Amino acid sequence: MGESRNQAATPELLHYRPWRGAFRPPIASVWPIARVALMSLFRKWMFWVIYVLGLLIFLLFFFGQYLLSWAQTQAGETEVQLGGWGRTNPRQLIQLFRGLLKLDGGPQTYHNFFSYQGYIVMIVLALAGSILIGNDLRFGSLPFYLSKPLSRWHYLLGKGLAVAVFINLMTTVPALLLYAQWGLLESWDYFYERFDLLLGILGYGAVLTVTLTLLLLATATWLRRTVPLIMTWTTLFFFFRLLASALVDGLRFSPRWRLIDLWNSTSLIGRTCLGVPPRPMAFANQPPWHEAALILGGVSLLCLIYLIRRIQAVEIVR
Amino acid sequence: MPDLLDSPDSGRGDRPLTAGLDLSFHETINPNHSLTVAAPTAAPLLLCQRVSKWYGPVIGVNQVTLELRSGITGLVGANGAGKSTLLRLITGHLRPDLGCIQVRGWDAWSTEARQHVGYCPETDAFYEEMSGRQFVESMARLCGYSRREARKRTEAVLERVGMAGRAERRLRGYSKGMRQRIKLAQALLHDPELLVLDEPLSGIDPVGRWEFIRLFRDLAALGKCLLISSHELEELEKLTDHIAIMAHGRIAAVGTVAQIRDRLDNHPLLIRIDVRGHSHAEHGNEREARRLAAALLKLRDVVGVELLDSPPDESVDPVLVRARNPQRFFQELTHLVLEEWYEIARLETLDDSTQAVLGYLLRGCSA
Amino acid sequence: MGPITANDNPAMIDLRNLSRWYGRFQALREVSFQLAPGRVGLLGPNGAGKSTLLKILLGLLPPSSGSGRVLGHVLGEDSAALRRTIGYMPESDALVPGLRGAEYVALAGELYGMPRREAQRRAHEVLTYLELEEARYRRLEEYSTGMKQRLKLAQALVHDPPMLLLDEPTSGLDPAGREAMLRLLLTLGREHGKAMLLSTHLLGDVECVCDTVLILHQGRLLLQGSVAELCRRRHDRYRLQIQGDATTFREELRLEGVRILHDNGRGELRVVVPPGWATRTFFALADNHRLLLRGIQPDDEDLEELFHRVLNEEGRHGRESEPGRDA
Repeated sequence: MGESRNQAATPELLHYRPWRGAFRPPIASVWPIARVALMSLFRKWMFWVIYVLGLLIFLLFFFGQYLLSWAQTQAGETEVQLGGWGRTNPRQLIQLFRGLLKLDGGPQTYHNFFSYQGYIVMIVLALAGSILIGNDLRFGSLPFYLSKPLSRWHYLLGKGLAVAVFINLMTTVPALLLYAQWGLLESWDYFYERFDLLLGILGYGAVLTVTLTLLLLATATWLRRTVPLIMTWTTLFFFFRLLASALVDGLRFSPRWRLIDLWNSTSLIGRTCLGVPPRPMAFANQPPWHEAALILGGVSLLCLIYLIRRIQAVEIVR
Repeated sequence: MPDLLDSPDSGRGDRPLTAGLDLSFHETINPNHSLTVAAPTAAPLLLCQRVSKWYGPVIGVNQVTLELRSGITGLVGANGAGKSTLLRLITGHLRPDLGCIQVRGWDAWSTEARQHVGYCPETDAFYEEMSGRQFVESMARLCGYSRREARKRTEAVLERVGMAGRAERRLRGYSKGMRQRIKLAQALLHDPELLVLDEPLSGIDPVGRWEFIRLFRDLAALGKCLLISSHELEELEKLTDHIAIMAHGRIAAVGTVAQIRDRLDNHPLLIRIDVRGHSHAEHGNEREARRLAAALLKLRDVVGVELLDSPPDESVDPVLVRARNPQRFFQELTHLVLEEWYEIARLETLDDSTQAVLGYLLRGCSA
Repeated sequence: MGPITANDNPAMIDLRNLSRWYGRFQALREVSFQLAPGRVGLLGPNGAGKSTLLKILLGLLPPSSGSGRVLGHVLGEDSAALRRTIGYMPESDALVPGLRGAEYVALAGELYGMPRREAQRRAHEVLTYLELEEARYRRLEEYSTGMKQRLKLAQALVHDPPMLLLDEPTSGLDPAGREAMLRLLLTLGREHGKAMLLSTHLLGDVECVCDTVLILHQGRLLLQGSVAELCRRRHDRYRLQIQGDATTFREELRLEGVRILHDNGRGELRVVVPPGWATRTFFALADNHRLLLRGIQPDDEDLEELFHRVLNEEGRHGRESEPGRDA
């Protein structure tokens, strides 16, 4: 046959070569799964708009702290005239700014930072859920993963790791940078005196990571497509929030109604972690933090159970 | 396959169509073709005249001319050759950019034409929550039948495709074969004369495929005209030998496989002849195969002869012959066999299958 | 753990009385067979239990009862080690959207447990072998059906497994693509010693690639053996190809004692000849009636006929022995 003769004539390059080598245990495949998921997340140019927004917020905090700190050292003791308002000491003025903008290295700074970045993370996750895991179910990539020497747990772990890394890259890591920056700008004592803040940042990050990861994986597995996912997340985090505040602030229901607002619950636990003093006025009537923790734990558990059941049900061979 | 053997000769009464479109290689199409085919009787069931279709800058179908009257015609070609586009043009789902398509004289785009055409698409887009029966019935309602009529027709077509007993389940849980059956059922609802089937045999298990082939034959026996695209050439060969080959948006050839094969002059037929036994004593203990090979080389149309090793468990010697002009070659071979007393255990043309013809044609196209 | 090649183990698959139940439904009934490494075709109509068998062989499902070994790995024990020795080519697309060809295959290698760099190197090698060199850096969304199919084969070959498990490897391919795929599989099996189990609906695929065939039906193993041996040799049957009007030719054949089984109306006759028949007579009769005799082939049973014969026998047998069985 002409074909076989052709094949025989092809150079050595095209010959099949055997491969011999040691295989690594299944747990080693968790990181490749996560890496590929992250890669597809960072390949969407559209998301870069949002990443840049996140970066801007970080830079605002970073340079805000830096500038105010720098300005404070530059300002002299002489009082300056402020238009027709009277004279004041610039140092006090800057101190005032810092207090107002909450750029004072206190718990509120980090809490603010977390909640701003949190919005960005939420938006990206709602958009990215289908890329991360929904598509695997929609386009049948699951047989590809699960026919390999790994269990369904490894697969979920890999996907979870991807979401976790992403959330932490957006929140915890920059928050730690701000923490380090403040210590270096002010004094090394800050690290010793406010060690609790470091733990608080890590704690808040952990709470956000676990809840959002499980919630995202579960909703994305369930809904698969982007648009329903966005609608669900909007309902969960925006309309429930409105509803909760309407019920509690408007109709004077029990503050427990705020528990339907998951975002408020994470924020509440974050405050507790960081030790932010209870805010006066508007959002004062909050439920106790341990109830919020209970709710988040319950929701996470439900998501986990759903995920396991859903992934178990996938037919690898049809 | 006893059933296939026993089935009456259903594909037989449908040969006249070859007369209308005797193997028109695209390059040789006469621009006045339309004048020559003006049939004295009714308008042909399907007439595509120099049809072209673009998708933006991409050409899907390039000046295709095709005429069908009855029987089963297979549409074959590589993926992306334009088969599905052509089928969708014929069913009036797409409109040609150039040329015209007529069904029984009506423009394929018109409602009148659509009453003559049933279409079984390749993709399956269903309302997954419906049962098979509901789906077919709602399609019947969409055809404009009254509730009673729709129900009656639904039952009839479900019976015909062998789904009457299992049409209650939801479509979501159907196997690929059952989906194909439902698609075929809805195409049969209005009892069309022309059935256009896009890959109806893909993904069906052997038993189902066998039933489908029988069903298609029965439909053809009822006088329907079937145009079937398929990649499964062996199955198609069981149904019909009348094929249209598409390549790069054009019809490369239409006709029976044998006709098309005979036209491929630059590829001499590859024929295997197994000869039994030894020669007579006068040549020593020589194998018959050698004697035959020598005799074959003397024939005008033979361009090559090769002696092969005999198969391990048989007492025959194969000879491989390459010959042009098959008509004359087989005639002369017959005379040779009769005059020189060869005992031929096998006479087989190795490259006249649809697969081989398609291979030659497409390789010719890409070269 | 040392790599296992097909040759180290006498049995590719060795099943003993293997059954699998889904609730009250029995998908596999006491299946037993031993297969030496080779190219095996797995056939059966829908619902025969093929996919259940594949799942068990991949270690994705434990057998309900009975035992089995695949290349020396006991089923139901270390399924990860088992899957490492198998390259599985799924029927569904199973692509990861957004990746490029080389990345996808390298990911498969990593998931099989290859070190990252090795997996990447090997991915390029396998893709070159499968003639996807040019498409390596394209996104998977841009691949054609034929390329996707070869890509799926690439991801099953990346860790050089001794055994391949192929689920409908030619589905959706056009004739040329199918021929290329079958040739590839044949080369891999013959020249590179890959054992393979090929599950398909296309009997032609099995005929082309496999030397052994398994037929499953309603969860039972109906038949196992070499394709050449199972198909009946029928020395008294011929298939004739003639050109011209065959009416009188057929009459004359009948007079000579030839029984005509089938005439497809397109010049092909299937006939049974009386004992002591010489094919010369065919030529003589054809010549008398000015017909062209273009083919004489011994009409041995092919895989398709074998398949239907076996299913029919089983159907008849099954109806007699188990009258109340539900389909």
